[in-house]
Amino acid sequence: MGIVGTRLRPRAGNQFFNLFEEAGANLLRAGELLDRLLQTWPENADLRREILICEQDGDRITHDLIQLLNRKVSPPVERHDVYELASALDDVVDYTEEAADFLGLYHVEAPMEQAQQLSGVLAECCRHLAQALSGLSQLSDIHHHLVEVNRLENDGDRILRDGLASLFANGVDPMFVIRWKDIFERIEQAIDACETAANILESIVVKNA
Amino acid sequence: MDASQAADGPLQVHELPSAAPAAVRLAVVDSDSGFVRVLAKRVSAVGWRTQLIATPPPPEELQALRVHAVVIDPAILAADGWSYLEKLCSQSGAPAVIVCTGPTSVAQRVRGLRLGADDWVTKPCHPEEVLARIEAAVRRRRAGELSAQPVEPIVAGELEIRPDMFEAFVGGRAIGLTRREFELLHLLAGASGRVVPRERVYERVWGYAMAHGDRSVDVFVRKLRKKLEDSSPGWVYLHTHFGVGYRFDPQPQEDKDEEEAAAEATSEAKG
Repeated sequence: MGIVGTRLRPRAGNQFFNLFEEAGANLLRAGELLDRLLQTWPENADLRREILICEQDGDRITHDLIQLLNRKVSPPVERHDVYELASALDDVVDYTEEAADFLGLYHVEAPMEQAQQLSGVLAECCRHLAQALSGLSQLSDIHHHLVEVNRLENDGDRILRDGLASLFANGVDPMFVIRWKDIFERIEQAIDACETAANILESIVVKNA
Repeated sequence: MDASQAADGPLQVHELPSAAPAAVRLAVVDSDSGFVRVLAKRVSAVGWRTQLIATPPPPEELQALRVHAVVIDPAILAADGWSYLEKLCSQSGAPAVIVCTGPTSVAQRVRGLRLGADDWVTKPCHPEEVLARIEAAVRRRRAGELSAQPVEPIVAGELEIRPDMFEAFVGGRAIGLTRREFELLHLLAGASGRVVPRERVYERVWGYAMAHGDRSVDVFVRKLRKKLEDSSPGWVYLHTHFGVGYRFDPQPQEDKDEEEAAAEATSEAKG
């Protein structure tokens, strides 16, 4: 891309960058917690509480970003991009929390392998997104993280299809289908939100190259 | 009223006799709308749940509905009627099957019953009679299921498995099994040391086909193993056969350790 080393306006943007970095760390924590929750379900069901706290932190960070945007005359990137990025990052944590919540709400007895794989993909997406967000002020070393998020999203689609196909095999308990279809969809929506955030970051990089 | 009066008088049976099975779930596979409507009305009056199916689904889908009985007219299957009936009746845990169809020959009725149908009713027939035959078939099934389940305790290692109490005991102390954990233990212990595949365990304990990737059996075996280890620490009861399923075979812990050491030594020698 040839954009390594370019800097966005730091003086005006420090608070924005700090909040985006905080949002990245928060969604990474939520993604990793969901992955741990699913790998060990139902043993560590209390992790749902920690994911809920991430969701509340995410709401607070989004609120702070919007408030900041309303006060600042000129953010380091286009206002529209700030709104869109904040919203996508918030969605990642919201869908992650919903998936975790459904495990308890639907009285899920045991995990499905495909859901465990999907939560692994989500955690990996969050890791790359968090790293991209922490490098946003410098616009350094971002591009390959965004490429990875897109690649992981494709992996997620493949795993989702496999999971859904297994639900609709003959003779599977309809209640089991309802439970897992919802959970699969929420994790997939969280991964999609990661991809949306990555695409917005990509466009910020291009505009500021 | 004597027996002859009862037989000749108008049929007004609106109360189920006490021996009737409660809450029967019924599927009616028939396109004869008049018969289906009358039967459904009568069935709903006695509080049973009915699913009316005009186009027969594959037999395994019919089984997945988890009904107690199926009333079917093979006429709607045309030439495939016999093979469909055979498949439906031969599935494990199949519902009671009552064939209700138009006039047929003795040979056809005998063939249907020998393929596994529980009863055969010839149309035109009174819905009350069909209902009574369904009740009888379901009653026989339930009685058969009860007698098929061993109620004798299974004693293995330090463990006493009591089907009559849905519990297992070590030294007279209950180990605190949930119903599902008990069913899992009872199934594995009743398999005489054979490996029971995961899919089979799920089908028997949960009553449905296992979705690919579902870890329910593994999770419940883990929970069960933990309770067994806590209550009877000197014994190993459940053995994992990776990629296949589980086997119940009580072994004192030291035997198990020696077995594992020998297996390890063999693999090292090969390596």
